[in-house]
Amino acid sequence: MESAGSLGPEAAETPGTGPETGVIQPEEGDTLQETDTWMMEAGDGEAENEGERRAGTGSDEDSLLMKLEISVSEAEKRTGKNAVNMQETYTAYLIETRSLEPPAEGQSSPLDALWRRYSEFELLRGYLSVSYPFMVVPPLPEKRAEFVWHKLSADNMDPDFVERRRIGLENFLMRVASHPVLCHDELFHAFLTQESGWKEVVSEAGLQMKTDSRLKALNATFRVRNPDKRFTELKHYSDELQSVISHLLRVRARVADRLYGVYKVHGNYGRVFSEWSAIEKEMGDGLQSAGHHMDVYASSIDDILEEEEHYADQLKEYLFYAEALRAVCRKHELMQYDLEMSALDLASKKQQSEELATGTVRTFSLKGVTSKLFGQETPEQREAKLKLLEEQIEEGEEQLKVRNVESREFVKNAWLEIERFKEQKNRDLKEALISYAVMQISMCKKGIQVWTNAKECFSKM
Amino acid sequence: MIMSGSSTPKSLPTSGQKSLHDIKHPLSCSPGTEEDAAGVDEPLIIDTPSPDLVPTEPSSTADKDLSLPNGTPADTSSPASSSSLLNRLQLDDDLDGETRDLFVTVDDPKKHVCTMETYITYRVMTKTTRTEFDLPEYSVRRRYQDFDWLRNKLEDTQPTHFIPPLPEKFVVKGVVDRFSEEFVETRRKALDKFLKRIADHPVLSFNEHFNIFLTAKDLNSHKKQGLTLLSKMGESVRYVTSGYKLRARPLEFSAITEYLDTFALKLGTIDRIAQRIIKEEVEYLVELREYGPIYSTWSGLEGELSEPLEGVSACVGNCSTALEELTEDMTEDFLPVLREYILYSESMKNVLKRRDQTQAEYEAKLEAAAIKREERSGVPTEVEKCQDKVECFNADLKADMERWQNNKRQDFRHLLTGMADKNIQYYEKCLTAWESIIPLLQEKQESK
Repeated sequence: MESAGSLGPEAAETPGTGPETGVIQPEEGDTLQETDTWMMEAGDGEAENEGERRAGTGSDEDSLLMKLEISVSEAEKRTGKNAVNMQETYTAYLIETRSLEPPAEGQSSPLDALWRRYSEFELLRGYLSVSYPFMVVPPLPEKRAEFVWHKLSADNMDPDFVERRRIGLENFLMRVASHPVLCHDELFHAFLTQESGWKEVVSEAGLQMKTDSRLKALNATFRVRNPDKRFTELKHYSDELQSVISHLLRVRARVADRLYGVYKVHGNYGRVFSEWSAIEKEMGDGLQSAGHHMDVYASSIDDILEEEEHYADQLKEYLFYAEALRAVCRKHELMQYDLEMSALDLASKKQQSEELATGTVRTFSLKGVTSKLFGQETPEQREAKLKLLEEQIEEGEEQLKVRNVESREFVKNAWLEIERFKEQKNRDLKEALISYAVMQISMCKKGIQVWTNAKECFSKM
Repeated sequence: MIMSGSSTPKSLPTSGQKSLHDIKHPLSCSPGTEEDAAGVDEPLIIDTPSPDLVPTEPSSTADKDLSLPNGTPADTSSPASSSSLLNRLQLDDDLDGETRDLFVTVDDPKKHVCTMETYITYRVMTKTTRTEFDLPEYSVRRRYQDFDWLRNKLEDTQPTHFIPPLPEKFVVKGVVDRFSEEFVETRRKALDKFLKRIADHPVLSFNEHFNIFLTAKDLNSHKKQGLTLLSKMGESVRYVTSGYKLRARPLEFSAITEYLDTFALKLGTIDRIAQRIIKEEVEYLVELREYGPIYSTWSGLEGELSEPLEGVSACVGNCSTALEELTEDMTEDFLPVLREYILYSESMKNVLKRRDQTQAEYEAKLEAAAIKREERSGVPTEVEKCQDKVECFNADLKADMERWQNNKRQDFRHLLTGMADKNIQYYEKCLTAWESIIPLLQEKQESK
C-alpha cells in the first residue's frame, strides 16, 4: 500500500478513534465513562500512541500481537442453566494470554487463562462493529457448519466442528489483535484478560447502541439521496464477492462428495481382489497385495478432505468478511442519511423563518390553515417564534457542519481501512490458494504412489 | 440375428447378463473436451490402432520381455504409453513355442442403409503363410451376424473346445445407439479379439468354417448349408440337465467348473465396481466443470488476485480434461475386457456341461453293456468309441484350459497394470497442472 505514508498524517488528525469519539452516537459517552474507570489497568498507556499506530495501517509491527501472545487452546463441553432457567449444553473455549513485554522483575509473565463461550465472542464482535463503524471488523467463524459435504457432521457438538471453530475463534482474536485500530480497544483487552464482569459492561455499552443503529441503518437503506459512488461500488463488490464465494463453497462441497465417492468405491476392489486371489495360483499374490493398495487408496481420501476443509474455512472467513464490508457501507449510508436529514431539516426551518418574517406562505401548510382558522398571532408571539426558529437554524447549521465533518472523517477513515483490508485480503487469499494447490499436489503424489505400488503388484502377476 | 434381437428387447432381463447391457457407454452423454488439443490426441491413438501392429510384433518371448519394462513407472510419461494397454491386449495371444502364421484384423466399420435394415460391416483382413489358404492375403467385409454364424459353426464342429465369446448380441433400444461411433468401435475391438483368439488357437484356426469366413467372397451361400445341425446340441444339453448324476466325474473338471463359477462372480463384481467408479468419476467431472469457472468469475471481480484465480480455474480445467481421458480410457479399454472374460467363462461352462453329458452317455452305455455282458462277452465297440470320445474331450479341454489360463493371466496382468498406468498418468497430469500455478502465485506475492 503505497499510500500508507501520505495517509498517516491525515489519520493522526483524528485523535482518539476509540469508542469515546462515537461519531454517530454522541450520547453513548455516559456508559463508556464507566467502562473507562473499570478498565484503567488495561487501557493505560495505549491511547496516547494511538494516532501514531494508526499511521502504520497494514503492518503488524505495532499490533497487540507484539505485546501479547494469544491463543484459544482448548474447547470444553459444558452444561448449565440459561436465562430462562433451561438446561442447555454449550462449548466453552479457553483463551490463554501471555504478555511479551519485557517483565519488570526479570521474570517471565504469568499465563493468563479464561473461558469464553461463542455467544461472548459474538457480543465482542457486535460491540466492535458498533464502536468502530468505519472498520471492517473481522468475522467470527460460522455458528453452524455450512457448505459441508455430506460425510461431514453438521452437529454443533461434533468434535471436528468444535475443533475447527476453536481454530476459527483463535483466528478471529488474532485478526482483531493484529488490526491497527481494533487491537487497542480496551474492552477487547478486557475480553482477553478479565473473566468476570466483562459481559455486563459490554451489554450496557454495546447492546443499546447496537439495536439503535441497526434499526436506523435498515431504514436508511432506501432513502439516501446522494449515495457515495465509491461506497455503492464497494457494496456491489461485497455482494458479488459473497455470492461468488458461497457458490464456490457450495460446489466445492459437491466436488468433495464426488471425490469421496470415487476413492471409496475403489476400496471395493480391495475386497474383490482378495477374494479373487483365493482361487488363482500364479496371480494370487499380486492380486492380494494390489487389493491392499486399493484399501490404502480408499482410506487416503479421509485425510485429504479433512485438510481441504481448512481451505473451505479460509474461504468462509472471506465470505463473512464480505458481510463486514457491507456493514461499513450500510453505516456510511446511515451517516449520509443523517447528514441529508439535517440538511433537509435546516432548509425547512429556514423556509419557515422566511415565511414568518415576510408573512407569505409559499406552500400550503398546516400552520397556514390554523392561522386562518384561529386568527392572526400577536406580533409578540411571532417575534418569539422567529427567535426560536433562528436559534434552531443556528443549531441546525452547527449540527450540519459537525455532521459534514463527521461524514468526511468517516469516509476518510473507512477508505483507509478498506485499503488496508484489500491488502490483507489479497495476501490471505493468495496464501490460501497456494496452500490449496499444495494440498492438491500432495493428493496427486499420494495417488501416484499408491497406483505405482499397485502396478508393481499387478505386473508380478 | 441383429434384427430379431433388437425387435425383442423385452427378453433381456431374463438373460442373466443384464448388467452387461446397462450403461454401456457412461461417457456417451458427457460433455466433450474440444478445448484441449492434447486431450483429444491421446484417445485417438487408442481408437485407431494400426492394423499392422500385431503382425510386425516379435513373437512370444519378445512380448513377454516387452511387458516387463512396462511394469516400471519410468515409461508412463512417454506419449506412446497411453496406447500400450491396447497394444498389450492385442499381443497377449502369443503362447510359448508357437510360431504365428495367421494374422487377422478387423477394422474399417461401414454403415449400410438398405430399405429393410441398417447394419454395420467390418473389414476382415487376413495375412497368412499357411498352405490351407490359396492366397497370402484376403480382405472381406462381414457383419455381426456373420461372426455369429462362424461362432455357431465352431461350436458345432469343435464341441470339445472353448470357443471365444462374441460381444453381446442384444442391445437395449434407446439405451445404446447401435450406430454410435463408440458402440461400433467397442464392438469392432471385441470382434477383432474374437478372430485373433481363434487365429491363434492350434485347433480352431484350422477349422474349415473359419477358413470360409476369412476368405469367401459370398458367405451367404455357405451359410445356407447345414442349418439343421444347429438344433442337435440343444437336445443333448437338455439330456444332461435332466439330472443324470455322473458316477465318476473327474475332480479336475469339478474344480474347473467351480473355478469358473467363482471367477465369473468376481469378474461380475469387478465389472460393477468399475462401472460405478466411472459413474462417480463422470459425476465428479460434472462438478469440476462447474467448479473451475467459478474461479474465473471471481477473478473478474478482483485486481491483484485476478491472475492467481484465473490460474486456479485453468488448473481445474486441466484436471477435468485429464479425468475425462481417464474415464474414457477405462470405458473403452477396461470394461470390454472384463465383459469378454465374463462371457468367455459362461461359454466355457457350457462346454464343461457338454463334457459331462458325453461322459454321462458313456457311463449309460457302459452300464447297459455290463448288464448285457452276462449274455455276451467283451465290451462292444460302440462303448469303446464313447470312451474314446470322453477321453478326447478331456484332453482337448485340459489343453484349452491351460491355454486359457495362460491367456487370462497375461490379459489381466496387462489390463490391471494398464489401469494403474492410466491412473498414474491422470495424477501426473494433475500434478503438473497444480505445480505450474505455484510459481504464478508465489511470484506475484514477492513482486508486491
